[in-house]
Amino acid sequence: MNPTRDTHATLVDLLDRVLDKGLILDADLIIHVAGIPLLGVKLRAALAGMETMLKYGIWQDWDEAQRAIATKEYRQKKMAMAPEGEVAALCHKSDRTVTTVL
Amino acid sequence: MENRGRYIYGVAAGGSMVTLGPIGIEGNEVYTIPYRELCAIVHNYPAEPYQSSDDEIVKNWVRTHQSVLDTAQERFGTIIPLGFDTILKPKDDTTHPDQVVKDWLKEDYDRLRNLIGKMEGKDEYVVQVSYEPSIIGKQISGRSEEVKRIKEDLATKSPGMAYMYRQKLEKAVKSEMERLANDWFKDFYRRIKCHCDDIVVEKTRKADGNKVMLVNLSCLVARERVDNLGEELEKINNMEGFSVHFSGPWPPYSFVAKPVVPVKEEVK
Repeated sequence: MNPTRDTHATLVDLLDRVLDKGLILDADLIIHVAGIPLLGVKLRAALAGMETMLKYGIWQDWDEAQRAIATKEYRQKKMAMAPEGEVAALCHKSDRTVTTVL
Repeated sequence: MENRGRYIYGVAAGGSMVTLGPIGIEGNEVYTIPYRELCAIVHNYPAEPYQSSDDEIVKNWVRTHQSVLDTAQERFGTIIPLGFDTILKPKDDTTHPDQVVKDWLKEDYDRLRNLIGKMEGKDEYVVQVSYEPSIIGKQISGRSEEVKRIKEDLATKSPGMAYMYRQKLEKAVKSEMERLANDWFKDFYRRIKCHCDDIVVEKTRKADGNKVMLVNLSCLVARERVDNLGEELEKINNMEGFSVHFSGPWPPYSFVAKPVVPVKEEVK
């Protein structure tokens, strides 16, 4: 069988990818990253941490408090997904990496 | 408002400044900002994100994001896609916005170079396998000894007892289906994986109609191996009660997302 790129049949595949994936940048440079105060809640309701981010909401002042919150949520999410052995490594890593994945 | 932000679609191999025309989100002019032999594909935009509560508007933005990457891929070959709504802006008024993009390319050069090398000649595909429980259930009824036995018993029971037996029957079919689903997953995964350069197991989602999604994979596949994967999927798709969704080629969204951002050592 051949793969399809039919717009109707592949919309969900596209949204899954463009909204939730792709290269992640260093947060110091960015004013906004996919997944934070974006799109109305409907399309992204399932995203953990959305509410908290909306509460703080402002992307331009990506201050320490927001970083801390995002880091914590990112770590929790990663821990929930990671096999047991990887948790420690991820904790260590997420302390140091940027916090743009929610 | 002054366009101090740069909306970034992706990164490609190409060391010169090129304009791709007004093909961007909301008709913005798309062009490249080069650094050495890499370039970022961007348009100019005020330093604030796109946001809307209207799904249709968002879907159109997302489609345009993808179509810009399609155009860029035709022109430059391998593309490292960024997610929607990534906008860079300068930290102060004296820095030119293009410079911020160049600085990023410079800082992230090794990783980007490495990723482009790794993705060369490969694309991402979505492979989902679903099954139809009603059809599979019938097959199980015909095969499983336990189910056959409960069915025979059921025929001889009074209406009250028959109700209990029907429940027992349903339970037996369900548990057999769960056992089989585990085997199918392993089998399909193994058969699909051997045609892929890399693979990500995604969460299954609700399938269309009465189907149940069993396998949801993002596959990174070399161009010369796509036909082989297609043949394997054809075989699965032809199995009674199963259907395969096979979409692509996509830019390698699922294979560039690992948060391996170079972090500057903090000065204590």
